Amino acid sequence: MHPHLQNIAIIAYVCAMGLALAHLVQRQTLVHRLAVLATLVGWIAHTLALVVHAIEIGGPPLGTLPNAVSVVVWVVVLLEMLVERQSGVTVLGAFVMPVVVVLSLKSSVARPVTLAPALGNAWIWIHIALALVGIAAFVLNFAGAIMYLLQERQIRHKRPGRFYHRLPPLQTLDRWTYRTLALGFPFLTTGLILGAVWARTAWGSVFAFDPLAFFSLVAWVIYAGTLAGRAAGGWHGRRAAYFAIVGFAALVLTLGAGLFLPGRHGA
Amino acid sequence: MPLFAAGVSHKNAPLALREQLAADEDKVREILRDLVGGGTLREAVILSTCNRVEVYGVADVPGEARAAAFRHLCRQRGVASAAVEGLLYTYAEEDAIRHAFRVAASLDSMMIGEPQILGQVKDAFALAQGCEAVGPALHTLFTQAFAVAKRVRTETEIARHAVSVSFAAVELAKTIFAKLAGRAVLLLGAGKMSELAAKHLVEQGAFPIYVVNRTWARAQELARALSGTAVPFEELGTALAAVDIVITSTGAAAPIVTRDMVAPVVRGRGTRPLFFIDIAVPRDVEPGVDALPGVYRYDIDDLQQVVDANIRERLREAQRGEALVEREVAKFRARLGDVEVIPTIVSLRERLEEIRAGEVRRTLARLPDASPETRAALEALSAGIVNKILHAPITKLRESSRAGAHRSWLALVHELFGLGRRS
Repeated sequence: MHPHLQNIAIIAYVCAMGLALAHLVQRQTLVHRLAVLATLVGWIAHTLALVVHAIEIGGPPLGTLPNAVSVVVWVVVLLEMLVERQSGVTVLGAFVMPVVVVLSLKSSVARPVTLAPALGNAWIWIHIALALVGIAAFVLNFAGAIMYLLQERQIRHKRPGRFYHRLPPLQTLDRWTYRTLALGFPFLTTGLILGAVWARTAWGSVFAFDPLAFFSLVAWVIYAGTLAGRAAGGWHGRRAAYFAIVGFAALVLTLGAGLFLPGRHGA
Repeated sequence: MPLFAAGVSHKNAPLALREQLAADEDKVREILRDLVGGGTLREAVILSTCNRVEVYGVADVPGEARAAAFRHLCRQRGVASAAVEGLLYTYAEEDAIRHAFRVAASLDSMMIGEPQILGQVKDAFALAQGCEAVGPALHTLFTQAFAVAKRVRTETEIARHAVSVSFAAVELAKTIFAKLAGRAVLLLGAGKMSELAAKHLVEQGAFPIYVVNRTWARAQELARALSGTAVPFEELGTALAAVDIVITSTGAAAPIVTRDMVAPVVRGRGTRPLFFIDIAVPRDVEPGVDALPGVYRYDIDDLQQVVDANIRERLREAQRGEALVEREVAKFRARLGDVEVIPTIVSLRERLEEIRAGEVRRTLARLPDASPETRAALEALSAGIVNKILHAPITKLRESSRAGAHRSWLALVHELFGLGRRS
């Protein structure tokens, strides 16, 4: 039951991505409505899949890293739908759904090995949940940065391109990347600290080499640098957007490492 | 319903002729009263704008009615009718419907998507209504044309993007700033186009407005017109630091705003972008300025390029508008067909019911002993025969109306069953 629902969700997300990208280029209201519908269908199937799975295993569906990534995707899609509705930025899906699809596929092809037995108490759920919310915020941060760079590029080039008038104003996008960064960072930080504390009590050392922990620290350093640059150094615009993309690349590596490389986080 | 539309427009007649033909409201009223009152046309609407003079009418003999209408127009305006007669285009029936839809939807306009035409068509329609020149046919046609125009406007983007330089500048400002309300604007120089762009910005809530000009009196005058503040030319650098959008249009031979002047300003601005709209030729803002972070600069050529792209976009969208009109024309024609066919179907049924009831009555009069069952059976039998016979002709009538060829069928049915003259 659960894998079927999961597959339906992924198929719906892929459709939503295609439609959202088509909407970006074509700008037909109907296409956008279909994209929203596909996203919603996917999300509902996804919700059911998570619930069914939780009942099957008798606990939150965070027991394996692929499951945890699946929950990230679930949060991201929910946020995407809410933000899109709230802000009226109908092109948001075109920038978020590709990330959703990549993460979904990643989590579905990874071998579902349960987390190391040491990870088994309430603290660890909080560690995971906080990190996941942080990651979800950074997906939106990444989407905002991409939109900023596209919009800035077409304004600088002075040739109205395909996306002309389809993206939000530069200032809005700049604020958006700042806010999502400011939102995601505390969650990521707390999540990492809890993880480190746990690692010390469980294994006696903070960093006996674990690929996920390593890359997440890299991502954290990049985001911390960007936040400091923005808050103190007046960074903004293109530079901030580049950092958002690099930070997100590190996050994707983090999850990739957790899913495919052997380490304490499973696999 | 013999419907036609005829006229001259920017597509086929020179401006000089259109000017001569264009009639004011009083004249149009007079002509409508003459035409409809005199019985030449059953219904008429005259649309007279600077780009087109057209008559939409319903007449038993459309060719004659058209000629009479334009003879009238020409006489009123003192134009030789021969000159007009040769240029006139005429659309009949379905083509006239399509033309009305396209004109109202601004697909036939000189600048596709321009918003005035719909209002002009509405005015022309109201004027004709006032003269009691509008009957059921033109009423249905124009009401539907307004609905189609609205659909084209909202479902395509033909009217979406700026096609003038000053509006294009405002649109660009909107892609940079989260909102224009509260953005400070500096006008450097006092050209007409920059004043227009500034006015658009003020309409969007831009505030405050500063005006810098070499001639102090002109600066003050323009500042008054825009409810802004005149600033002495020497304080240009200070003013730059305070604003978000700069519109320049001086007659200076060399750039006035240089990179060296803007660089220190940018450092103090934080995340606020600075947008230069340079309408002057030769340019007032050094091109290197927009290499500075957060500084954007568009000169007149750049703006023109945006306008050109927007016009191309409108033409693309117009294709979608045409497709929409085509679908609406087909729907409308089917509806008109039904409107004409339904009364015939009703009278056909009534006619046969009359015959049936009469025959049943007569038969029963000869059968005084008939039981209630027999009577009921006779009623049922006769009703059944009538329905079976009617089934094929009614189906055929409905089909023919959808196919647009109902007229000959209607005539035939009326003739065959003696339904009386069709109105």
